[in-house]
Amino acid sequence: MNEIRLKQVYNRLFEGDFEEKDTIFIDKDNVLYDIRTPGITVQSKGESNLVKLDIKVEEGVKPEKPVFLCVGFLESSGNQYIEYSFDIGKNAEVEFISHCFFPYTDVFLHTMKSEMTIGENAKVYYEDVHYHSESGNVMVESDYKIDVQKNAEIKNLFELVKTRVGKLDISMDITLHESAKGYAETKIREQKDDTCHVKEIIRLEGDHSNGMAKTFIIGEDESKAEVLNEVYGTGQYSKGHIECDEIIAGEKVVLSTIPKLLVSNNTSEITHEAAVGRVNSEQLETLMSKGLSEEEASDMIIEGILNS
Amino acid sequence: MEVIKILEIENLSFNVEGKKILKEISYTFEPGKLYTILGNNGAGKSTLAKLIMGLNGYYQNHSGEIYLNQEEISQLKVDERAKRGIAYTYQEPVRFKGILIRDYLKISSPERIMNETELGKVLNLVGLSTEYLSRKVDHSLSGGERKRVELASAMMMKPKIIFFDEPDSGIDMMSNKMLKDMFNEMKESGTTVVSITHREEISLIADHALLICDGKLVADDKPEIVNRIYKENCDACDHVNNPDKTWRNLNE
Repeated sequence: MNEIRLKQVYNRLFEGDFEEKDTIFIDKDNVLYDIRTPGITVQSKGESNLVKLDIKVEEGVKPEKPVFLCVGFLESSGNQYIEYSFDIGKNAEVEFISHCFFPYTDVFLHTMKSEMTIGENAKVYYEDVHYHSESGNVMVESDYKIDVQKNAEIKNLFELVKTRVGKLDISMDITLHESAKGYAETKIREQKDDTCHVKEIIRLEGDHSNGMAKTFIIGEDESKAEVLNEVYGTGQYSKGHIECDEIIAGEKVVLSTIPKLLVSNNTSEITHEAAVGRVNSEQLETLMSKGLSEEEASDMIIEGILNS
Repeated sequence: MEVIKILEIENLSFNVEGKKILKEISYTFEPGKLYTILGNNGAGKSTLAKLIMGLNGYYQNHSGEIYLNQEEISQLKVDERAKRGIAYTYQEPVRFKGILIRDYLKISSPERIMNETELGKVLNLVGLSTEYLSRKVDHSLSGGERKRVELASAMMMKPKIIFFDEPDSGIDMMSNKMLKDMFNEMKESGTTVVSITHREEISLIADHALLICDGKLVADDKPEIVNRIYKENCDACDHVNNPDKTWRNLNE
């Protein structure tokens, strides 16, 4: 594994400081990890562009610093298939910072499947930031399945805003058990002929479970995006909210959102908000009335959304 | 003696779907003076201010002229008008996701460069602490806080003429003094301040008051006089914005 090169690229892109931290590096199908926190174990297997990674956090383990997952592919073309299995023990509290970077790829397919089980009363923060090449030929298929048990919490953020997207297909499926909480946020900025398909599902199975999914898409040039948000309210007194903001910043942009809200319990409460269109005109005029041009005002509003 | 003009409007009319919202309003605003505009809801006060600022694409659908420092500006977009020194604060200012108050105030300043101390001072003038610089102009602010941020932004702009659209709504009565101090400070620095208000106490500190009814400018005098006319006629008026009935006696 070209560890030095990977770390150099990682440092340059993310200004990462991963010394003395729990780190897992994946380059193509090679895995290198340095786990220092007792109670976190990793088992890996990598061959023929396929990486399987089992990450276990023991009951009650609460590392002070995040666990860094650095996923790279530094060649110009190829495939990468990653299967994660996360097992988070009861009462554990852990943060994962995942950075996926494919800066030199011309034609590339990255497929990721992640299954996570979060034990009772545990808390997980998972941040997944992507950097793709500017070729527009990067294809990413990400599939997250998260099972959040009694009183446990998950906060999951996905971000792809600083480079071209290419083709992205992302699916997030969160099941919340009794009094569990889930929050999923996806931010994507598309350019040129980028396309993305986002599917977020919140299953409010447990009584008093509470889930929220937010999606922000900025479409520029001739990009296309489709967002499907689904919430199923079956648990007693469960609450769910889905929100989708899609901003069209180009004449040939096509964006869509399809919400699906299903309630089969009369105490469950689900709400939905969606906005698809150009930048809010009142916001635009307010900033223009400070002397910003229409383009400057639009950029400021979009940056604000992406930084919110 | 020739009147010094900062902003002059001539025969300003504005229609929406065939309905006349503003009817041939002409008026001259002088530099460094404080004006108040009175009138019932729907009279056309905010429309007049927004039309002058060029908001809502209004600049495309009006007749008449608007002169700022003798330059006709009615075909200019809102940002061009702002750069020339016109400002407007919304009655209910919009919120923004992710924009810090610090950055909002910075872009309000024509110089764009302000240090934290200067930004903090402006916030203090509108009753907010320096800690607010790191907060966002979003829904985490209460209505009153958002309004105060807008007032701070207006001060940062140092405009030649500014229209405050009901600056006192949503802000507690204790803030009357803050508004008065702010208006006076802007006035002393040469800014023409125009306040649209329903609060008599605020309107009485003006140098001049205007009364608008049904899109017409129906009175223009000292604030005490216009306030009296407003109370005697508009409060008792059972025809909202119907000057033909309301103003018969006055005109006679």
